[in-house]
Amino acid sequence: MQARTWIGIAGYVALLLGGAVVATLIGGSAERVLIVFFVSLIAVLGMGIYSGNSGILSFGHLAFMGIAAYLSGILTMPVQMKQVSLANLPAFLGEANMGLLGATVIAVIFAMVVALVVGIVISRLEGSAATIATLGLLVIVHGVIIGARDFTRGSQSFFGVPRLTDLWVAAGCAVLAIVIARLYRDSVLGLKLRAGRDDGLAAGAMGVNVRRQRLIAWVISAGIVALSGVLLGHFLGAFSVKKFYFVDTFALLAMLIVGGMATVTGALAGAILITIVTEVLRRLESGLVIFGYELPDMFGSTNIGIGLIILFVMWKRAGGIFDRLEWDELIFRRTRTAAAPEEMPHAAEEGHTLRAEKVTKAFDGLIAVNEVSVAVGQSEIVGLIGPNGSGKTTLLNVLSGVLPVTSGRVFLDDDDVTGASSARLAGLGIGRTFQNIRLFTSLSVKQNVAVAALRQWPAASGADEKVAAALAAMGLTDKADTQASTLSYGDQRRVEIARALALEPRFLFLDEPAAGMNREETDALMADLKGLCQTRGMGILIVDHDLPLIMRLCERVVVMNEGRVIAEGEPAAVQKDPGVVEAYLGAKGSQQVADALSS
Amino acid sequence: MDFFLQQTINAVSLGGTYALLALGLAIIFSIMGMINFAHGELMTTTGYALMFAGLAGLPFVIAAPLAVAVAIGTAMLMERIAFRPVRKGSPATMLVTSFAVAVILQTLFQNLIATRSQPVILPDALAQSVAIGDLTIGVNQILSITITVIILVALNWFLKRTTLGIAMRAAAEDFSVARLMGVRANAVISGAFAISGALAGAAGVLWVAQRASVDPLMGFVPVLKAFIASILGGLGSLTGAVAGGFALGFIEIFLTAYLPEDWQPFKEALALGIVILLLLVRPNGLIPAFNIGREKV
Repeated sequence: MQARTWIGIAGYVALLLGGAVVATLIGGSAERVLIVFFVSLIAVLGMGIYSGNSGILSFGHLAFMGIAAYLSGILTMPVQMKQVSLANLPAFLGEANMGLLGATVIAVIFAMVVALVVGIVISRLEGSAATIATLGLLVIVHGVIIGARDFTRGSQSFFGVPRLTDLWVAAGCAVLAIVIARLYRDSVLGLKLRAGRDDGLAAGAMGVNVRRQRLIAWVISAGIVALSGVLLGHFLGAFSVKKFYFVDTFALLAMLIVGGMATVTGALAGAILITIVTEVLRRLESGLVIFGYELPDMFGSTNIGIGLIILFVMWKRAGGIFDRLEWDELIFRRTRTAAAPEEMPHAAEEGHTLRAEKVTKAFDGLIAVNEVSVAVGQSEIVGLIGPNGSGKTTLLNVLSGVLPVTSGRVFLDDDDVTGASSARLAGLGIGRTFQNIRLFTSLSVKQNVAVAALRQWPAASGADEKVAAALAAMGLTDKADTQASTLSYGDQRRVEIARALALEPRFLFLDEPAAGMNREETDALMADLKGLCQTRGMGILIVDHDLPLIMRLCERVVVMNEGRVIAEGEPAAVQKDPGVVEAYLGAKGSQQVADALSS
Repeated sequence: MDFFLQQTINAVSLGGTYALLALGLAIIFSIMGMINFAHGELMTTTGYALMFAGLAGLPFVIAAPLAVAVAIGTAMLMERIAFRPVRKGSPATMLVTSFAVAVILQTLFQNLIATRSQPVILPDALAQSVAIGDLTIGVNQILSITITVIILVALNWFLKRTTLGIAMRAAAEDFSVARLMGVRANAVISGAFAISGALAGAAGVLWVAQRASVDPLMGFVPVLKAFIASILGGLGSLTGAVAGGFALGFIEIFLTAYLPEDWQPFKEALALGIVILLLLVRPNGLIPAFNIGREKV
């Protein structure tokens, strides 16, 4: 955790507590407005933990708010009251009479357990499908609350909840929520989830189990939203199931989105802005006199106002007011980077090999890779060449677990790793880069590399040193705090390589690493790679169209055409192979070459 | 057995409406990656158009196509005004935009028309029913099933045989390549919204024909169901949307028919629960969209 995170947190806390003090001095309605604000803020922070860091919008979080409000209300309600309003309650609930703290703990834990069960399904769905599933969750829980009359009084008002939420309870919980939300965002878990948000596929290849990270965030966020539900219930005293449905979802989502859901600062800004707008419009709604004219009553003008604000923000700044950066990140751009260790961390052990045996990959009818067998040994650089569409990239994708094999086997040493996920293979020591650069665009260079370096967290330490070493190896130390997407093309390729190196891979796959680089940059990169291969004992499998480069760099070259391996051997020998020449130049071209050679 | 047949007819009728709605959502999603939350408001607009047409004394055979035309116009306007500025945004941006549009329209309906449910004048024939053996089939059910079938066949023809239809299918598979091949983005997207509006309009007419009333939130719940149907079928897959719509219709009707009395309040939750369990087995839906898993790496 950087010192910056704590500066950020201190800023939020000062703002919240300052607001609470001012509201106490004013008293009355200001206090009520601020309590509602704190409760909304907690809900928005909770929603942001999931939606902001995963990039998946959720309509379902108010379900947890409702569950917690009802359950905690049942627990704190005086027993005599329950005998009147909830006569059919089972005895253990009917006789329960707890304080706010106990009820909160139980309600929050219960909501988190529900979230865990639901989350197992939702975390399997991607993007928009996950969003719709959260919508389904809201409808389901709404239906269950109405149906479970004995516990909830159905669609009637649920009343008699003691009003225990005062300004300082709400403020304290808001501080707790904001600390958790910010710590989560900047934690290793948050970093991994944000990497998954920016590029799920690349995150997987860097060892991140994106589904698991989403599930963790989902459960934590449900807990925070449940906390706001408890507070809301104990603030209102009486509420109905409507409070936890679409109208309030809209208002809370507006807060989340307008400020920018990717940051805690954004959630705070959005909650403040929407609260102010709502308060102003609500006064308008009950008729207002301006310059002697009485404006007509406008039912639901808050909804229209909020709707227009959302449209405006979406059109002008879709990421929200604070987009991707927290307030402290906007002010303090630079962070502390650990010094690169003198010695490169050494992963070299004895004689590893990666072997593919008769690997086939078919897309419906098209066989992109056809019974290919290749092997890469330790400290060996193998070139993989072939015309466009010959199946090189598909082979890398299959070997790194990004695509499942259709048939054939892949062995790492003697272990059969066929069908392993890309995240698992990353853990076993296979790092890779992508042909069409896939960086985590909203993260800094250092954070990009850290995602890979933190693969073994919390089991292994020394991630800072790994990051520093990988950055130094690719000459990126000066650019550590730059946002990855703003770098030049060549630098982005270097970041990809640095990121793969931070996995401390035993085998490194490079897909056209020199594309878009000039001659000097290419030469420098090749020298670096050769050095890494020797010092770290890595096996490298490299795809590139720059044949002179491949010929100079590689000890062995594999040539593919139309999904098959057509030649393999030392560069010089492969170069003269008539089949290879034909594949590249066509039959006629190869004849010309042959003629030229013989003359 | 008769009870079962009767329920099957109910399920086909309800499922058909869901299928039309889900199809309208799927056409937009497959081309733009956008989930249109305001789809339900197109349905509500249709309902109000029918209501006003009825009040003006227009016969149903004229009022219904007119109402569908209003839905088409509204859909295209919506795209032009609200969605075009965010067309290049992320799916979340587009979803939020459409959510805001939906809420604004709902509030406008409440303010400009009425907050309460309004009656819609319909021909008496719609309320009749026909007896076939022991089966009683409502005229509106026959109408609903017939119209659904006609629309599905017509849409299939449109997408396979006409230039705009083929351009849309091309755009759904790969919009950027389709544009390079000379497909015009604005034409395709406007066309997609027109079709989606027509589908929502047709569903709206069928919905109102069975209920004879319209309220500001009328479209909200059926479209919510259509969302669920479209992920059940496979988000962005047109065949999947139809399959998902019918599947959800069957699940709902048969739960209502066979669930014990005590469980009836939970039928909606149970229906969605079943869908979620199905998704556990098939996360990409019953008939996944063509593009799923084909991301170029």
